[in-house]
Amino acid sequence: MLPQSHIDELRSAVGADGLITGESQLQTYECDGLTNFRVLPGAVVLPRSAAQVQAVVRVCARHKIPFVSRGAGTGLSGGALPAAGGVVISLARMNRILEVDIANRYVVVEPGVINAHVTARVAPQGYFYAPDPSSQSVCTIGGNVAENSGGAHCLEYGFTVTHTLGLEVVLPNGEIVQLGSPTLDAPGYDLTGVFVGSEGTLGVATKVILRIVKRPEVVQTLLAAFDSPHAAGQTVSDIIAAGMLPSALEIMDALAIEAAEAAVHANYPVCGGLLLVELDGPSSEVEALMSEARAICSKNGAQQVRVAQSDQERALVWKGRKAAFAAMGRISPNYIVQDGVIPRTALPSVLSEIDRMASAAGLRVANVFHAGDGNLHPLVLYDRAIAGQEELALDLSYRILHLCVDNGGSITGEHGVGKEKQEALGYMFSEPDLATMQLVRCAFDPENIANPDKVFPRTRLCAAEIPGPYTPHPLETAGIAEIF
Amino acid sequence: MTSTTAITAQECAAQLANIAGEAHTEVAGETVSVAPLDAAQISQILRFADANAISVTPFGSGTKAGWGNPVAPGIRLALKRMNSLREHPWQDMTCTVEAGCTWASMQAELAQHGQMVALDPLWPERATVGGIVATNDSGALRLKYGGLRDLIIGMTIVLPDGTIAKTGGKVVKNVAGYDLHKLMTGSFGTLGVITEVNFRLHPAETEARTWTATAPDALQFAEPLRILLDSQMTPSSIQLRAGKLQSALDVRIATRPEAFDEQAARLRKIFGQIELSDSVNEVWQARQRLFDHEDRVILKASMLSSDICSVSSELQHLAAKQEFEFDLTAQATGLMTVSLNIPADAVPRLLDQLRSRLRTSGGSVIALRIPESIRAGLDVWGCDSNALALMREIKRRFDPNRTLNPGRFVGNI
Repeated sequence: MLPQSHIDELRSAVGADGLITGESQLQTYECDGLTNFRVLPGAVVLPRSAAQVQAVVRVCARHKIPFVSRGAGTGLSGGALPAAGGVVISLARMNRILEVDIANRYVVVEPGVINAHVTARVAPQGYFYAPDPSSQSVCTIGGNVAENSGGAHCLEYGFTVTHTLGLEVVLPNGEIVQLGSPTLDAPGYDLTGVFVGSEGTLGVATKVILRIVKRPEVVQTLLAAFDSPHAAGQTVSDIIAAGMLPSALEIMDALAIEAAEAAVHANYPVCGGLLLVELDGPSSEVEALMSEARAICSKNGAQQVRVAQSDQERALVWKGRKAAFAAMGRISPNYIVQDGVIPRTALPSVLSEIDRMASAAGLRVANVFHAGDGNLHPLVLYDRAIAGQEELALDLSYRILHLCVDNGGSITGEHGVGKEKQEALGYMFSEPDLATMQLVRCAFDPENIANPDKVFPRTRLCAAEIPGPYTPHPLETAGIAEIF
Repeated sequence: MTSTTAITAQECAAQLANIAGEAHTEVAGETVSVAPLDAAQISQILRFADANAISVTPFGSGTKAGWGNPVAPGIRLALKRMNSLREHPWQDMTCTVEAGCTWASMQAELAQHGQMVALDPLWPERATVGGIVATNDSGALRLKYGGLRDLIIGMTIVLPDGTIAKTGGKVVKNVAGYDLHKLMTGSFGTLGVITEVNFRLHPAETEARTWTATAPDALQFAEPLRILLDSQMTPSSIQLRAGKLQSALDVRIATRPEAFDEQAARLRKIFGQIELSDSVNEVWQARQRLFDHEDRVILKASMLSSDICSVSSELQHLAAKQEFEFDLTAQATGLMTVSLNIPADAVPRLLDQLRSRLRTSGGSVIALRIPESIRAGLDVWGCDSNALALMREIKRRFDPNRTLNPGRFVGNI
């Protein structure tokens, strides 16, 4: 609980209509898309401007109140989970697109702008915003920046960080800084690059400069049906080896296809492993590449190869793919979404090992993955009503992450570490690696109030703030300075 | 050794020889050069230097040693022995390379599997991976493939206290932990020593052609360039070249052989009355050639892409009026390199003019090479960021004793 005096200060920062303290309303903010972690915040503020965000953060800094910023709450790793009694800064009201510069291919937006709205705004001029997380119709740019969100088209277009040119950030001490700019290579450290993907632990972004991309002349999506995800995986390797860089290469296994069909009737072929290949660019180039891709699919034993014939059909193909997580509800009472990455070539062996681990645990695992960049989304299916099954499922999902690391990969490709994978980060990185990251954290947030107890394996304190017996400063020991 | 240092260059050399071997340690005046074998030796060297208040400059081949503020280090840490391509899992299209490897030798090995790191830095035959990353150099390919921040997927660094840390990984898609490799890229060796870099790779551009258009005034290219950038064509590079009286625009397209004719026809349509001819690959050496005249001032200017023609044209008019010579290249990404033949005392004023011209749109100008006579008092970086205090704090956390390249970077970091 926050003391009344702190609540009063927050009210003067954002106004009475920007403050939520009633328990039933606070419950809306007790979790994000990872719903098995829930913590009730002390207050939620809904600022309308960077100045109001600054005023809120100053209150937090003054009283060392932990805060977490929040977009649409769609995150899947618990990144927006509040600290108990802390402040949630909802950026939902900061949802204006401030500037559109078509000639220089960038837009300036507030953090609460919905991802898909950026594209909607520049589509009439033939442009789009490339990162396309599955939640893009509701998730916000601020959340995308925090998580360095990806999507199905990262393979060609890159991630949120690739498209973030600059930021306005309220630092945890309440200062406002501009990082980066619409032009490249501003003198100084690339703090934009460091901030993107820092999961709300370095401050609050209040303005984001995003690159936009010209919509390609032609987009073609090929569906190839294989007996197994393994055969689809081999095809992915062969396509890449042929020197192609498709905009997307996606694989769904039989369970994922079944679920997606049940949810959106995407008209997928019934098969053991479905491969989606999307190519885009000038029409003459895409045609040549598409016939090459078809030939590779056939060579690898595809039972059926077809190209979506219209924009509507293509949209439906993607709707099915993007609905795959939520569709799991159709075939299982409960499920856990995981987000591991492996080198592409490890795909066949890792899939076999996941199958083996799932059988041993007596659970089903559906697989949906961004195969081109080795980003797996194993969906561990279980029934909470059966005693002990949730624990089994959680254990299996973490062991899958370890498997990814053991194969030279990562514990997260796009969902972030958040609350969910803190301990797994310790499996991926050694102590010196984590200590070095902590130097950045301490430079931005020495008081450890910006989304504390996230990302890193356990609560870490900045060197200067470690409590305990007095230790003299090196300058003092050297006789250069008195206690200061 | 610097005045605060208690030990002599000879004593320092003796210590370093114990770590890296006598054959790899050399005294030149007040500086000791040492060439370690691996990250473990670098860790030992840095710990020794840090504890003894001896400044250290990481050194590749020295092609860009003059960029930034000068540093007279106690130790020159040469990466030349760490020069191999460690891994190239070509089917995963990634590689791991040691920092002392030259760009060209890395690319030659990657080319055996038809792959490349999609970046065309200066002096690839001599420049090393570590130096290129530390200075964030990039060339004309950046238009299509992005800069180093988009191509580096992981790194190994050694901090002044001897900590050896890894960041990122060996997979292209990875959001675990902070991206320290982005912080290190372009940090001019002020935070840590880069020992290994992991890159994502692209298929080599085996089929590529270049076209060039010429015109007296660079402004004549403003409209075709705008249309080209707004089109659905996907050139890998676009470069404006300009001198006092002449300018040219080069366009490079890599595609399937069967698609070239159609692409060329589209380009001709965009350029309209301006003549466009088939060109040669050598035009892409233009940026590097700007550095050939050693007495010339070199500036790196960053601007909006819509400004490159107008800024070039303004320089042409200024040069005609004030009677000086210059040459420049500007990429369509908005990065311009200018080589100026002007008297030393005219440099500060021109630098100020350019900076105020570009600042309104977030641009900047860095003086890469200036006459020694005017160096004192001239701000080569031109950093007006309100995040400078934060940058200093990052430096303090990484390098509290200011061991690495002290004073070389922005704000005297």
